[in-house]
Amino acid sequence: MNEPKPSGCFLASRWCRLFATAIDAVLVPGLTLFLVMLTGVVEHAEDFVDRWWVFHVLLLGIASYLLLNGYLLWHRGQTLGKALLGIAVVRAPAYLTGLPDGTFETVPVAFWKLLCIRALFFPLLFVGIVPYFTILPLLDQLFIFGRQRRCLHDWISGTLVVRVS
Amino acid sequence: MPSRWFGAVLIAGLLASSVAMADCTSPASFTQHYADGWGIDQRNTRYQPRSMITAANARRLSLKWTYALSDMTPRSYPLVTEDTIVIGDSDHGLVALDRDTGCERWVYKHDGDISSAVLFAQVKGEAILLFADRFKGIYAINAARGETIWHAVVDDETLPQYSGTPKIVDGKVFVPVASMEVTLAINPFYGCCTSSGGMAAFDLATGKKLWYRPTIEEEAVQTGSHFWLVEEYGPSGAPVWATPSYDSARGWLFFGTGQNYTHPTTDTSDAVFAVDADTGEVVWIRQYTANDAYTAACNLSTAHPNCADPMGPDVDFGAPTVLVTTADGRDLVLAGQKSAEVHAMDRVTGDPVWTTRLGRGGIIGGIHWGLAVNESLGLVYVPISDKAVMGFPSPGEPAPGLYALEIATGQQRWQFARGSRCPDLECEYGLSGAITAANDIVVAGTMDGYLEIFAAETGRQLWSFDAWLEFEAVNGKKAEGGAFDAHGPMLADDLLLVTSGYRYVGAQRGGNALLVFQLEDADE
Repeated sequence: MNEPKPSGCFLASRWCRLFATAIDAVLVPGLTLFLVMLTGVVEHAEDFVDRWWVFHVLLLGIASYLLLNGYLLWHRGQTLGKALLGIAVVRAPAYLTGLPDGTFETVPVAFWKLLCIRALFFPLLFVGIVPYFTILPLLDQLFIFGRQRRCLHDWISGTLVVRVS
Repeated sequence: MPSRWFGAVLIAGLLASSVAMADCTSPASFTQHYADGWGIDQRNTRYQPRSMITAANARRLSLKWTYALSDMTPRSYPLVTEDTIVIGDSDHGLVALDRDTGCERWVYKHDGDISSAVLFAQVKGEAILLFADRFKGIYAINAARGETIWHAVVDDETLPQYSGTPKIVDGKVFVPVASMEVTLAINPFYGCCTSSGGMAAFDLATGKKLWYRPTIEEEAVQTGSHFWLVEEYGPSGAPVWATPSYDSARGWLFFGTGQNYTHPTTDTSDAVFAVDADTGEVVWIRQYTANDAYTAACNLSTAHPNCADPMGPDVDFGAPTVLVTTADGRDLVLAGQKSAEVHAMDRVTGDPVWTTRLGRGGIIGGIHWGLAVNESLGLVYVPISDKAVMGFPSPGEPAPGLYALEIATGQQRWQFARGSRCPDLECEYGLSGAITAANDIVVAGTMDGYLEIFAAETGRQLWSFDAWLEFEAVNGKKAEGGAFDAHGPMLADDLLLVTSGYRYVGAQRGGNALLVFQLEDADE
């Protein structure tokens, strides 16, 4: 049985997480727009004859997310925003029930979870691509007000966000 | 005793249900129809000679039934026959309703946006219905079986928009062509713009294209770029938004165009075209506003990279042209412009005869959807919107209302001004939708939800109906009334039909009500 070991890590503050998300929410679409412009996928009338342009923009959005965050997520469990704010995603201990400050081990999270679960909740994905589901990221973010400061995507992927600086 | 009552009620119920069943299970008849499309006749006079509603009996109109449409911005103009009303209901499809009760005879399922009047024609003894889907093209269907006969698109343009109602003449279907680029330009990464408006002709029986007349002949070329990489093109635009008018004696079509989207501008934008209906060859072109370049991007900001610089006033000819003959026998073309001007041209040469300005104009009018004419009175009726839109600059004093001008001279005969019911934007009280004339009346709907009838000679208000209500619809749903806009009222015998609700533009109130009014005691 794993014993919790004091590690000096503390939960990231809610403000910290909000700012990190805000930074990502600016950088990712910013790069997406640049790539959209570079590739010209919505520049010509022919691009709008069918609905494929939506798929093309989505692909460029995913590419932007990976270009900006892929390396950091793989190695440090961080997006660019989180890296700038000195916070990271770690695996939540299975036995965690109460406030975990300073009482758990910072175990890296599987890369696939970071991409396939957490990234799906990236707010702009829903605002931009699936507008009818904008309630989902809002609901996701509201979970942050729980005692463990975990959004819905943290619960689903079994993660915490902690201070690492 | 109770059993006798029960029997009587049962028999009455059975009789009532059999009548209702008979109404909706009998096939729709198409031997009589009350309009040749959007303009009611081929000349687009919007004068209904087969209406029983007059100045003397208009006050006896009352709501007969309401049908709840599936869209809060209904945009189809009904076809009325002796026993059926056929109307487009957005992506629900084409709906045929019993004229007396409103019950559904049939629904032709259509996934799209039916946006035109519903047209009727006979092809080799077969009754067909024809309509335009704003984005998907023109559809001809069998009126009896509801099967698609043909579907046609204008492949000469990349992103055509079929906003105007086609016109059927002598086995041909004439299709006005606008472009989706006017709104795509909102996207700053879009390389605006390459399309031209135009008029296309198709064979009525087969849907085969016969000719296409673009309003801009020259190919768009790159004129610049923004954000380093996004290419800009021109000339472009000059869309045709409305159904053409047809001069059967000369075999000519007439239609107006909208503004250019980009520079360089052309001498075919904000203009009136006369073309040969057999070949599409241009007979004459009369431009009224030069150098008008504008896209929807300008609504967001005049600094938007896809807003033309310099920006024009966006004063399309959105309303169809109208062909009239004066009392002394002169053939004219009338055209209402979003600048709030009505122009009269000589029909043969296109030479200007008179121009009368009635308001300040603006990007949704001025004159937006259409005029109506009473030739026996020598008057043309002009609805003026003058609505401010989304904080867009609208210099000058607005003068919304209904006006009557003399056809021969353009002199104003009368004006009806109204007050606003509230200070909110949705209470803008101008007239954007098309209007209809008959006998000695004019019928008009306002953007703040009043349907009104005026005396054609004097402009005196005879009847008014406030449609900002919730209605119990015959199809078991709630129907909401809203702004009157777009295609406007239809008249047929003792009926007045109109859709209520339109929220495309600004803060107008949406609604989904097809309202059918009838004269009480029509025989009196």
